[in-house]
Amino acid sequence: MAQSTASVDNQDIWADLLGLADRQAGEQALLRGLLGVLCKSADLKGAAIYAESGEKFRQELAVGAGEFPAEVRGFRDLGLEHREIPGGLLLLNPSGSETSFPEALPLVALAAALQTAKLSKRLKQQKFEVNYRGVELEALYDVGLAVASTLNLEELVEEILLRAVSLLDARRGALYLTKGSSFVLERTFGGDACTEIALEDPLVAALLEAEPPDDQDLLPGAAHLLAVPIETDSERRGLLVVADKESRHGVGPFAATDRRTLAMFANQAAIALENAYLHRQALEKERLEREVELAAEIQRRLLPTDFPRLEGFELVGWSRPARHVGGDYYDFLSLAEDRVTAVLADVSGKGLPAALMVSTIHSALRLLLDHFRVGPELIARLNHHITDSSAPNKFITLLAAEIDPRRGEVSYVNAGHNPALLLRAGGEVEELEAGGFPLGLFAESSYTGGSLTMAPGDLLCIYSDGITECEAPDESEFGAERLVDLLESVGNRPLPEVVQAVDDAVTTFAAGQSQGDDQTLVLLRRTKEGVGA
Amino acid sequence: MTEMLKVNVDRRGGLAVIYTEGYINNQGGEEIARAAYDLISDDEKNLLLNLKGTKIVNSIGISILIEIIEKMLEIDGRLSFCSLTPTIEKTFHIMGLAQYAQIFPDEESAVAGLSE
Repeated sequence: MAQSTASVDNQDIWADLLGLADRQAGEQALLRGLLGVLCKSADLKGAAIYAESGEKFRQELAVGAGEFPAEVRGFRDLGLEHREIPGGLLLLNPSGSETSFPEALPLVALAAALQTAKLSKRLKQQKFEVNYRGVELEALYDVGLAVASTLNLEELVEEILLRAVSLLDARRGALYLTKGSSFVLERTFGGDACTEIALEDPLVAALLEAEPPDDQDLLPGAAHLLAVPIETDSERRGLLVVADKESRHGVGPFAATDRRTLAMFANQAAIALENAYLHRQALEKERLEREVELAAEIQRRLLPTDFPRLEGFELVGWSRPARHVGGDYYDFLSLAEDRVTAVLADVSGKGLPAALMVSTIHSALRLLLDHFRVGPELIARLNHHITDSSAPNKFITLLAAEIDPRRGEVSYVNAGHNPALLLRAGGEVEELEAGGFPLGLFAESSYTGGSLTMAPGDLLCIYSDGITECEAPDESEFGAERLVDLLESVGNRPLPEVVQAVDDAVTTFAAGQSQGDDQTLVLLRRTKEGVGA
Repeated sequence: MTEMLKVNVDRRGGLAVIYTEGYINNQGGEEIARAAYDLISDDEKNLLLNLKGTKIVNSIGISILIEIIEKMLEIDGRLSFCSLTPTIEKTFHIMGLAQYAQIFPDEESAVAGLSE
């Protein structure tokens, strides 16, 4: 390259340089201005400045026209005009075939500005890294705070995963929670993830030992994985996985410090998750208790609060559920011609499903009694309805008895219920057995009906097996015989006293054992003053 | 949630709003930078970055946003932000972005503030 005279004299260059200094612009603006001065002084179409970076030069800035590469390694073979400066390189695009040799002044200024820019960049990078450590600490602190504030498990899982991906500069991530003997995918970010993996899967051990195989299928397509357990008191709550650490030039593996950062983060997350779990369990328990309480209230309202007056008869009912919501049901339904139907039913099972069945039978019976009298047809229709509307494994035993007070006649059907007891005033005991299968077992079941006439002083006792099967501590049962004996001994007292005597006897017999089943009793006695004998 | 960043631009006389949806990482940051530099070359000097659709940003994304802010300062323009999640807003404060770029709670207040 031939030495040539500068196209602009030194005075102009000084003026331009002083003008740049007065502007107090940033490093990039200063470099841009200096390259401009260079182009003007050396008659260039364009120029680019490169900073030395290891064995190559990286472009800092380019001005004007020209094809300047982003990186340069062997610049001597580039075929472009160039000038070496301390710490860097200039590539030049001359205007004509004759290249003007740039004046030394702008070259010196450019070298100084390049050094300043490099120093400034290094300082900025250091400041950035210090600030980002602050972001990491803040994230740990925030997840700790979430212990007290975020109790929604879904929100918390998302928060933990997004912060982990962000903190580790990962491109992808997934969060698994332990369910039984597996980690089950709860949330993924940036791509698909395997939905479930066994706790004992060798891949899990390999991940936690930092040796994930290349062909892993936990996060398909991810090249670099980092996983840490989410643990509380050595109980493994889940697995936090991030993948593919980003840089400005693509993705790569995570550093050892990243594992420590993620592990610290997972420790905080574990406490937050534990708290959210406990909160969810408490809410679930509370919800169930509310539901049970509501169902119990509904069922209480289904039971009669007072009993119809029946000329010539006394009647009373009593029920004590084994849990909040029981499967026993009784009712007295007033019918035309002063008749009354007494019904006692026992639904298989306990709790809410049993309560729903009780509600069903309560409604169905009331509707059917508008059209039919107590007898085989009514019970067959009721059975059909119950079979259609109940689960296959649910059934109901029921005894319905219709009392005609004028004649003292009782018509009844016993659908699989334990036989009611009729204690005659003369001391005989009869059992009411006529009927058929429990309701809900077979849609086409047929039934027979029974009838009897009660004389003054006769006592009819319909009861549920919760009374006769009440257990003593030695597992012996109260039994029907003991019930008959008791009724015979107290049967002449007012019916509320008889109920109380049964209650006391059963309670004494159980001797503190928890009540295993609902206990229900319906008593009818024909009084001597009755009519129609 | 969309995880690859989507960018939309709305120019409204003296203010260009860049809407983002997704992760501001290396790729997402480059998408924003491309949109911002296109606007700058069209002489738009007042840019608003609406991050309503973004829940997550990483350090690479932040470094690219800082470069855009520097570029705006260089041309005497300004970049502002609005609709940030509390986590992103806190990150921007710690990383110093808030020293050079205004942060508004939502687009309405940003438009009002930037047209004063």
